[in-house]
Amino acid sequence: MGFNGIGGYINQPGEIPVEVVIAYFVFALAIAIALGKRNGGLKAFKTVDWVYIGIGAAAAYVWEFIIGAIIGRAVPSGLSNFISVGFLGRMFIVFVVVALVRKIGAGMITLFLFDFFSDLFHYGFSGEPMYFIYESLTYGLFVDLGIAITGGKVFGVGVTGSRSKTIALAAIEGGIIGLLWAIPDPIFYGAFFKPFLYGGVVNWSRIIYDLISFIPGDVVIGILGGLAANRVEKAVQV
Amino acid sequence: MSFVFQQPNLPPLVELAISWFVFLFGATGPIVIILAFVGIRGFLHITRFESGEGILYRLSPLTKLVIVISITVAVSLTIWWFGAILTLVFWLLFFTLNEAKRKVLYVSYLLLSSILGVSTGFAFYTPYSVLQMAFNTNTLNVVWVWPSYFTFAGYEPYLTLQALYYGLQITFRFTAPMLAGLLLVLTTTPSDLMRYLAKVKFPLPFIFALTVAMRTVPRIFDILDTVVKLQLMRGLGYGKPAFLRPFYVLIAALYGLVPTLIFLMKGAKYTAIAADTRAFNSTPRRTYMKEVKYTRADYVAWGLILALYVSVALLLTFGYGRGIPYVGY
Repeated sequence: MGFNGIGGYINQPGEIPVEVVIAYFVFALAIAIALGKRNGGLKAFKTVDWVYIGIGAAAAYVWEFIIGAIIGRAVPSGLSNFISVGFLGRMFIVFVVVALVRKIGAGMITLFLFDFFSDLFHYGFSGEPMYFIYESLTYGLFVDLGIAITGGKVFGVGVTGSRSKTIALAAIEGGIIGLLWAIPDPIFYGAFFKPFLYGGVVNWSRIIYDLISFIPGDVVIGILGGLAANRVEKAVQV
Repeated sequence: MSFVFQQPNLPPLVELAISWFVFLFGATGPIVIILAFVGIRGFLHITRFESGEGILYRLSPLTKLVIVISITVAVSLTIWWFGAILTLVFWLLFFTLNEAKRKVLYVSYLLLSSILGVSTGFAFYTPYSVLQMAFNTNTLNVVWVWPSYFTFAGYEPYLTLQALYYGLQITFRFTAPMLAGLLLVLTTTPSDLMRYLAKVKFPLPFIFALTVAMRTVPRIFDILDTVVKLQLMRGLGYGKPAFLRPFYVLIAALYGLVPTLIFLMKGAKYTAIAADTRAFNSTPRRTYMKEVKYTRADYVAWGLILALYVSVALLLTFGYGRGIPYVGY
C-alpha cells in the first residue's frame, strides 16, 4: 500500500537503482540552488516575470490537455512516439516563456506551476509530489542550465551581432535543449518513476526505442521553439 | 493463455467495414464530440468563474482544494465502481451551479469524450499479459478479431471483453478528479484562492502566478475563438463541405496559437503594472481587506471528506481496494 497513488516499488526487474536516481536529484537540486543563489534567487524575479510564467503555465496546460490532446488523437498510433503533439507544444511554450524571463529558475518554476495546474484541472494531484520534483528538476533544470550557460542570453535574445548569428544561436540552443528534453521521459519516467509509482517490469528495449524515437521530434521542435521564442520576445518587447 | 471466440458471425466484408469504422471512430470520435458539441466557447464556459448562489460558491477555496486532492487519493486506492459513483456525485453537483443547464451539457459532452477516448485508448492497446495479471485469468473472451495489419498501428490482434472492462475501469480514475477540479475553478475567484493559499503560507509570488494562470485559461479560449473566427472570415475552409468544418476550426486554432500567445504576453506588462501599483511583493507579507472565513458549509464539507476517507478505509478492509493495476498502457 502506497501513498497518494505512489506504490513505492523499488528493485522491480530492470528498474534503475533508487540510489542512482536520488544521487541525480540531490545533485540537480544542488545545481539549482547554486545557480539560483548566483542569480539572486526568487528576489531577482520582477512582477512581470511572474505574469509571464503564469500565462505560460496556463497556455502549456491548454495545449497539452485540450488542443494537443485533440490533435494527438489524429496522429496514427505508430507515429505517436515521433510526434507527441501535447508534449512538443509544451516544450515550445516553455521556450517562449524562458526567452521572455531569462532568469535562472524560470524553467523550473514554469514546469512546477504547469504541474500544479495540470493537477488542479486534470490529474487531481495523483502521484504528487513525485511529478513536481521530477519535471522541475529534469525539463525545468535543463532549460535553466541553458540560461546559466548563455549568461541570460538564451535563444539569442540580447546577443549583439548580425541577425544570422542570433538566428543560428536560437536554433542551436533550441536543438540542444530539445535533445535533452528527449531523455527524462524514457530514462527517468519509464525506467524509474513508472515502476516506482505503479510497479511492473521495465522493458529496456521499449525504453531505448522510446529514447531514439523521441529525439528527432524533440530536436526539430526544439529548433523551431528556439527560433519562435526569439521572435516572440522581439514582438512582445515592442 | 487460451481465447474463447465469441465474435458475431458476419460476412467478411461487413466485418472489415466495422473494423475500419471502429478504427476511425476510435481515433476521431472524441475529437468530433469535442469540436462539434463543446467547441472553443464551451471550454470558456466550463473553465471561467461566474458568481452564483449554490452550495459550492459558499465553500472556502481551501476546502474545495482539499476535496480535489481527497477524491484523487480515494479513486487511486479503491475499486473502479467507487470512482464511478464519485464521478456521478460530482456530475450531479454541476446542477447546483449558476446557469447549470448549459454547464451540465458541456461537461457531459466532455465526460463522454473522455470516457470514449480513455477507454478505447486503453482497450485496443493493452497487452494480454497485463489483462492476465489484472483479471487473474488465463482465459480471455474475444469479442472482435481485427484485420491482421491493425497490429502495425499498435493494436492487439483481438479485442477482448477483459480489455473493454479494463479500459472502462481505468477511465473512472480520471473522471472524478477531473470534474472536481473543474468545479473548483468554476466556483472560485482567483483572488479568493490567493487569500486562502496565502493563509496556509504558500509563497506569495507562486500564488500570484497561479492566479494569473487561472485567469488566463478562459482568456486563452476567448482570444483563440476570436483568432479562429477571423481566419474563417478571411476564407479558411470557404466553400468546403459542412462536415469538414470542425477540422478547419482545428487548423485555424493551430495557426492561431502563436498570435494568441503574443497577444497574451503583450498584455502581461499591464497586469504587472496593475499589481505593482498596489505594492505587490514590496513586503514578504500582505494584508487583506476581506478576512478568511470558514462557514457552516465548510464544516459540513470537512465532515463529508472525513466520511470519504472512512469509506475508503472500509472498502480497503473488505477487499475492495484497487483491483486492477494501472500500468500506463
